[in-house]
Amino acid sequence: MKRDVLERILWSLSVDRFSKSKFKENPEKYLSRFPLAPEDVEMILSFDVKKMQEMGVNPMLTMGYWIEMSPDRRMSSYNKKLGSDAQYSASIKG
Amino acid sequence: MAEIVGGFLVPHDPVMFVAPDAPPAEQAKAVWDAYETCAKRLAELDASTVIIIGNDHYMLFGTTCLPQYCIATGHTEGPLDQLPGLKKEEIPNNESLARYISNEGKASGFDWAEARSFTTDHSFSIPYQLIVKRASEIKGTTIKAIPVYIASAVDPFITKERCIELGRHLNSAITQFPDAEKVAVIGSGGISHWVGTKESGRVNEAFDRQVIEHCCSMQVDALAALTDDMVLENGGNGAMEIRNFICAMTAIDAKRGHLIEYQPVPQWVTGLGFIELCVE
Repeated sequence: MKRDVLERILWSLSVDRFSKSKFKENPEKYLSRFPLAPEDVEMILSFDVKKMQEMGVNPMLTMGYWIEMSPDRRMSSYNKKLGSDAQYSASIKG
Repeated sequence: MAEIVGGFLVPHDPVMFVAPDAPPAEQAKAVWDAYETCAKRLAELDASTVIIIGNDHYMLFGTTCLPQYCIATGHTEGPLDQLPGLKKEEIPNNESLARYISNEGKASGFDWAEARSFTTDHSFSIPYQLIVKRASEIKGTTIKAIPVYIASAVDPFITKERCIELGRHLNSAITQFPDAEKVAVIGSGGISHWVGTKESGRVNEAFDRQVIEHCCSMQVDALAALTDDMVLENGGNGAMEIRNFICAMTAIDAKRGHLIEYQPVPQWVTGLGFIELCVE
């Protein structure tokens, strides 16, 4: 999947109330309007922010998507998902 | 005619508002006090308008349009990303000066993206509320503020060379503005911080001190010579905001810089530097 499309989806889900609402209602249906392969849909639904960043997605968007849409919105969980270095993430609360 | 009276380079760290008690109390106080020092100095400079050079964090501008540099010429409010203690409010823009800068740009090779009705994010609103608005309270008059946003956090990044040119253009346009304005410029950003990456929480004091040295000795070229790879490796994706410093330093045409405060605060995920830029 092109990084550009993924960034468009994540940006919408970070800042656009209508998109957020539609995604929460039925995530698969919301994502069906974008040119996504099944593995791309799975990456978004599983909040695989590490893989997204490896694809070149701006980290501000993966963070925004996590904070706005993930079931566990804590930054400590986000950092764990990214595989953060403990020496850095230990200083971050919440 | 308008004149440039000085300015500041300051951080815009939202974590300060979300987790104010996370760092040691003395360190937190030093940072909050530094904003107050800037506000008092701005009031002493008797500025009537402040241009704040900040950057979007992939909130205001989306994938359908990512401007290299943008100026708010009309109604302004913010921030979009409200925080505890940083609520959305109307911002008194100096619309005539903002439009003058944009028009001057069109005549001299700078095609500004214009925001006719704009909502800021925290990169504008933190220095605005903690410095400009506070200085207005100290003075008992309203100091206006113009948002300038440059592409420092979302690629395609504005080149550092273009930041220098843009700063010179701002200086020229401001000083040709026919009204009697006293203008200050704030470069909002930095220094080292990793935003949303696995290194988040790392602060590189050595890199920060190098940037501070360049800023205080007005070595804009040395700052611009730091390659993006070098900045990303040593200062993180957030340190790409030194572009805002470069643009502000050249806009002010400052003669010297004075370090007000520096605190490396991993709990706030940032190396926080405060520098006053002096025109004399």
